Amino acid sequence: MKSRQFIALSCIVMLPAMAYAGAAQKPIIDSYLAAAKAENAAFSGFSAERGRAFFLAKHDASSETPSCTTCHTSDPTKAGQTRAGKDVAPMAVSKTPDRFTDAEKVEKWFTRNCQSVIGRACTAQEKGDFITFMASL
Amino acid sequence: MKKIIGIGAVSLLTLGASLALVGPGNSALPQVEPAYVKECGACHIPYPAQYLPKRSWERILGSLDKHFGENATLSPKALQPIKAYLDSHAADSAAGNPRIMRDVAVNNTPLRIVEMPFWIHIHHKQIERKAFDAPKVKSAGNCAACHKGAANGQFGDDD
Repeated sequence: MKSRQFIALSCIVMLPAMAYAGAAQKPIIDSYLAAAKAENAAFSGFSAERGRAFFLAKHDASSETPSCTTCHTSDPTKAGQTRAGKDVAPMAVSKTPDRFTDAEKVEKWFTRNCQSVIGRACTAQEKGDFITFMASL
Repeated sequence: MKKIIGIGAVSLLTLGASLALVGPGNSALPQVEPAYVKECGACHIPYPAQYLPKRSWERILGSLDKHFGENATLSPKALQPIKAYLDSHAADSAAGNPRIMRDVAVNNTPLRIVEMPFWIHIHHKQIERKAFDAPKVKSAGNCAACHKGAANGQFGDDD
């Protein structure tokens, strides 16, 4: 096969793979989409920008964990650190591709961390916005 | 022939002696419950069950919503194998080590390994030097800052 043809063929083969970046997160995003619609009839879709603001927000529910950034740092493409000194893989899907692919794991951490940081459960919209933001980085 | 038997005997004796040295602070620890490593090793090293008494582990597991400043709740299903493991491997269990329980008052329930008398005794020099206040160490609960094998339960002097 000539090299030009090979390059063209490779690109064509790669295209579907590129379109599927973030496809691994779709099932979980879709389930929160359904839940968000049930929570609020006026809901019109998730927003990465809202997710970003939600991620960076500071709360007064806890002096130990006032914000998501306390452990995940203000840059989700970087590794974070727990208060006990253990590394946390980056939240950004581009850096940690299996983020938000295990529904049970995702719910476990939202349940815990929303209570710790915000002092209440997160809404389906907040969760969906958050994941959408992390998948956009 | 006698030489071979002699060498064989010495080898076996050496092997036996090294195995006999296994105890807290050495390598070759028994297999740790995978659920404990996965869940309780997510934010910190999976602290060895044998370093706290049963009553301490029970109190910790009974208050996971207020776990040293964070919510660390687990479903009852996820909790079950962890509870069983900690109970059967705690310092005062059949699999435990009486040396770890030395000087622990019966009416005291230490919630941190660093409050245990054995730990304070071993680390008294570091305590005097305030080594645990160093920014890179963060806290005395960050064992891996000095004990590189801590995540695997290795706390010997060479680890």
